[in-house]
Amino acid sequence: MENFTNEIIDINQLPKFEEVTFTNLHPKYIRVVLINVAIIIGILILVPVLISVFKPELFSGRVWLVLGAFIPIISLLIIVFSYIGFQKKGFAFRKHDVLFRHGIIAVNTVVIPYNRVQHVALHEGLVSRFFGLAKIEIFTAGGSSSDIEIPGIEKEQAENIKHLLMGKIQKQL
Amino acid sequence: MGVDFSQPQRQSVIGILVMFFYTLQQYSRALWPMIVIWIFKFDEINKLYLFLGMIAVFVSIGVVSYLKYLNFTFFLDSENEEFIITDGVFNKTKTAIQLRKIQQVNINQSFIQKLIGVYELDVDTAGSNKKEGAIKAISHELALELKFRLLENEEKKSTIGIEETSLEETEQKLFEAAHPFIKIPFLSLLKVGITSNYGRSIALLVIFFSTIYENFQNFGDANNVYKEKVGSYIDKNLVLQTILISIALLFGIVLVVNIIRTVFKYYDYKITRQKGSLLLSFGLLNTKSTIIKPEKVQITTVTRNYFQKKMGILELKIKQATSGEKEERKSVIEIPGCSETERDSILKLLFHKIPEKGLMLQPNFRKLVFSVFLSLGLPLLGFMAIGNWLEPLFFEYSYVVPIYVVFIGLIQYFKFINNRLFINENFIIKQSGAWDVSNDIIEPSKIQAITTSQLFWHKRLNIGSITLHTAGGNIAFQLGNYSILKQQVNLWLYEIETSDSNWM
Repeated sequence: MENFTNEIIDINQLPKFEEVTFTNLHPKYIRVVLINVAIIIGILILVPVLISVFKPELFSGRVWLVLGAFIPIISLLIIVFSYIGFQKKGFAFRKHDVLFRHGIIAVNTVVIPYNRVQHVALHEGLVSRFFGLAKIEIFTAGGSSSDIEIPGIEKEQAENIKHLLMGKIQKQL
Repeated sequence: MGVDFSQPQRQSVIGILVMFFYTLQQYSRALWPMIVIWIFKFDEINKLYLFLGMIAVFVSIGVVSYLKYLNFTFFLDSENEEFIITDGVFNKTKTAIQLRKIQQVNINQSFIQKLIGVYELDVDTAGSNKKEGAIKAISHELALELKFRLLENEEKKSTIGIEETSLEETEQKLFEAAHPFIKIPFLSLLKVGITSNYGRSIALLVIFFSTIYENFQNFGDANNVYKEKVGSYIDKNLVLQTILISIALLFGIVLVVNIIRTVFKYYDYKITRQKGSLLLSFGLLNTKSTIIKPEKVQITTVTRNYFQKKMGILELKIKQATSGEKEERKSVIEIPGCSETERDSILKLLFHKIPEKGLMLQPNFRKLVFSVFLSLGLPLLGFMAIGNWLEPLFFEYSYVVPIYVVFIGLIQYFKFINNRLFINENFIIKQSGAWDVSNDIIEPSKIQAITTSQLFWHKRLNIGSITLHTAGGNIAFQLGNYSILKQQVNLWLYEIETSDSNWM
């Protein structure tokens, strides 16, 4: 009890989460993003084509015109937004918490203190695995809206991060 | 305390009846299409066969429920500290629940059980969504005893070191257990019924009447003669009168339905204190009882509207930590019709002090602009677009527009006016709502994660949003002063990270 002190906390002296420098996702990850986007665009083109083969009577010249204008614009938008989304994503591991920043028109920052992490998972997608990348998923008791998914981390680094987090959680128990 | 639970036991013998009704219910739910067909073809079927069939069904259900009764046993394994339930007629299941994992033991009584005079005991553990162990028929004394034994373990854990309780204290505790410290009187329930849930009831009634009206119209289409007759009966003068009367009638029905529902749900609401937990029991036909443990409480909401303020009542909602999303709605515990002093004593029990509102944050006026755009601008644009290009007939309903604008506009305005975030050293309180003004109270230590969010064009205005995630749901506050919010986030993070406070 003698060592107990209770000084006033100077809020301005506290470490600021907004001034943390974020690490960007691995540069290779943009390829994963683009491949996924390509698949979506492929489906977008393939579906009308297939329909036109099996049910040609559905498609007049006008529909083709609309589709012809519509698909490139949508595709371009998807590509641009995916690219910006990739660039805006970033993560940071502080001593006591993990931060993840994302969002295209809004900048969202999720902060999870290590002593609130429930469990950590490592996820490798099909395309990601090809590039040697992995995704780290961090779960809390706060429901799906507060879970963090950090994609595009090198497999080895991801393992390290997972171990680091596991170690931090273990220490809390 | 002399009941021996270490030997496998069956349920109350009368429990066969409960089993019988439950199995009957189950079967009739599964077979209702057949039953419906039978009823319609009643004249065509041989009565004898029907009679024999019915008897066969009842006998088989009886046999099945008897077997269920025979095969259902439960006992306490004190060596391994487990509660073991075995059940099943053909497929036998053995459920072992470790005593230390037991979170809650609820004693409930459904309508059938009330008729027969037995109780149901549910054992709830952490980590799974459904109730793991349920004993369907047990006498009240036995249920209480078993509950005591199941939770005994936990008590042992928490009372180590506080062995010596003075006589006075034990007496105090006995007194607490025997006398509910809050009892919600019937009059308060009536007040609650009159003053709450207008929206839900009106929506239900509108759906109900519109389906009737639709059917009526379909019927009218079939014979136009009828329609014309009705048309000529309705005088122009009468129309207004009818509308007014029907509105009055609608309100009357809403009130009556509300009162009946509230009374059925919350009749005889009692709150008892037990070892620092709150024990609730309520219900007219189905008596429910639950426990609130203060450390498990995540979000506490105090709601009241203008009428309730005048009548001196309010509603408390308590959200406890949940393991699954689906469960979320179920684990909200409502305490209707408290008075202010009762509210304070409950809050004191949950938080050890009465939450105070501290630093106040208001949303920027852009929030009002945005919500007005969403709730007024977009629907009006849609209305114009449909009227202009698709269906000009739509404009005949233009008289609805001003009513809609005024009504929604007022709601949005009051929502904006009431939207506040209060930050205090120990509490975060979010106030919201247009008519029913509610205050969500959380303690910073219950926060699991924090999300901050800012649109890029709001950077220069220094406004932004924040979401506090807890195990009982989220608390969000939009377009407040961003630098203050960020400062608070840093403070909360500091508090969470430097203490080992228990959030559950």
